[in-house]
Amino acid sequence: MSASADRVRDAFVVLTDTLVADFDVLDFLELLANRCVEVLGVRAAGLLLADHRGRLNLVAASTEQARLLELFELQNQEGPGLDCYHSGRPVHATDLAAAADRWPRFAAAAGAAGFGSVHALPMRLREEVIGGLNLFCGNGSTLETDVVELGQALADLATVGILHERAVRDRDLVLAQLQAALNSRVLLDQAKGVLAEYTGGSVGEAHARLRDHAARTGRSIGDLAAAVVRGSADLAEVVRGAD
Amino acid sequence: MDQDRVVRVWALITEHAQREGASASLRHVCVVCARAVAATGSGLSITRGRGRHDPVATSDAASAELAELQFTLGEGPSADALDGAGPVLAADLSAAASRRRWPVFAPAATKRGVLAMFSFPLELGAVRVGVLDLYRDRTGPLSGAQLADALVFADAALLLVLDDRGGIPAAYADLVDGGFDEWRAEVHQAAGMLSVQLGVEVEEALVRLRAYAFTQDRRLAAVARDVIERRVRFDGGRAGKLPEGGNEPDGEEN
Repeated sequence: MSASADRVRDAFVVLTDTLVADFDVLDFLELLANRCVEVLGVRAAGLLLADHRGRLNLVAASTEQARLLELFELQNQEGPGLDCYHSGRPVHATDLAAAADRWPRFAAAAGAAGFGSVHALPMRLREEVIGGLNLFCGNGSTLETDVVELGQALADLATVGILHERAVRDRDLVLAQLQAALNSRVLLDQAKGVLAEYTGGSVGEAHARLRDHAARTGRSIGDLAAAVVRGSADLAEVVRGAD
Repeated sequence: MDQDRVVRVWALITEHAQREGASASLRHVCVVCARAVAATGSGLSITRGRGRHDPVATSDAASAELAELQFTLGEGPSADALDGAGPVLAADLSAAASRRRWPVFAPAATKRGVLAMFSFPLELGAVRVGVLDLYRDRTGPLSGAQLADALVFADAALLLVLDDRGGIPAAYADLVDGGFDEWRAEVHQAAGMLSVQLGVEVEEALVRLRAYAFTQDRRLAAVARDVIERRVRFDGGRAGKLPEGGNEPDGEEN
């Protein structure tokens, strides 16, 4: 833990810098998911956000492998993320192989994807749970208590990032921020589809191209996605940059 | 925030429609939604081409008049929601903040006895087909439960508009998509892909995707996955084809 203190500090500095600077919620959440992997030493991390329909939506993940996406989608039926959301408490599934009774489909799918344990940490605003941070580890590895605490701090930072400090005091603004975050993610998915069809590649690859192009041109991924879907972005340019 | 809310809202809409011996329409959404969230009235406006929108359904005559007023002034919570502001919640139209934001509309509304207004865009990513407006003759915010209900009613209206454009019977969204398929990431990705295949906007692509799933009697998410994995194309290309006859959107309601 102490060995990675520099990394932890670095992660929080970068994330809080992003929060106070010109801010795009998707950029921030993707950065946070990736920092979770680096700092906490997990295999994959994803942020689930609840909507008014009662669905848990993946808004950002450290990787967008289809198998991982399916694991998040599955948690609308069962899984540590769903239990965490309902209880508002962390759920530590340290041995998924032994959890087949509790979550038969999730445990099987996670095992097939090479994950041995999952830690689901709530994203809370006072008494309300708005979603959760899910941390996936490989077989035979789980997180120490201090690492879990650090993960919870990152989950709290995600909550702050989504809701903004101003919004936390006003319920109407909370709703607006949640809706905005959810809708940006939908827009990103639409943009991934547009670019995938344009290049003939996969949607995962399209996501990487969008992320790279946004980073290279200093544009937020939300802005870029909107331009791609509305037809005002030069797709050839977006693609060319990635080669 | 629970899935029961979605089921309950659809049940309210279809029950009300059935009492009239009709299938669920936007007017039913207006009437039932106003009742569910204790609003005095409600209205739905639908976009027609860039920057234009028309009131298409209201719960009562007073709401129709207010919708017309907003449309004429081009200002108000409704216009802001359509402009990409997300839900616009004006709990007190007589307050200074409201008058600053809508200098013409706010006084005109309060003069007609409308003291609070809540506007919810019918949107899904880049798709924005209209707005659901709720009016009250008293000030004060919607409760958390009323807010969540209103968002689900806006979802229902969005699906009814899309399916109307796709020539699909109104009950489809309720009966076939009980698994909440329409909100899955794959559906948005597939709509993006189809918009390029067909050379249309993503909204039209989503309309066609839903129409295709309906005519094939398949789950929306399953069809979306076929599109993403390139087992189905909509442009007459190597795999799959458009459904035959009667399901091509004609671009006009009524």
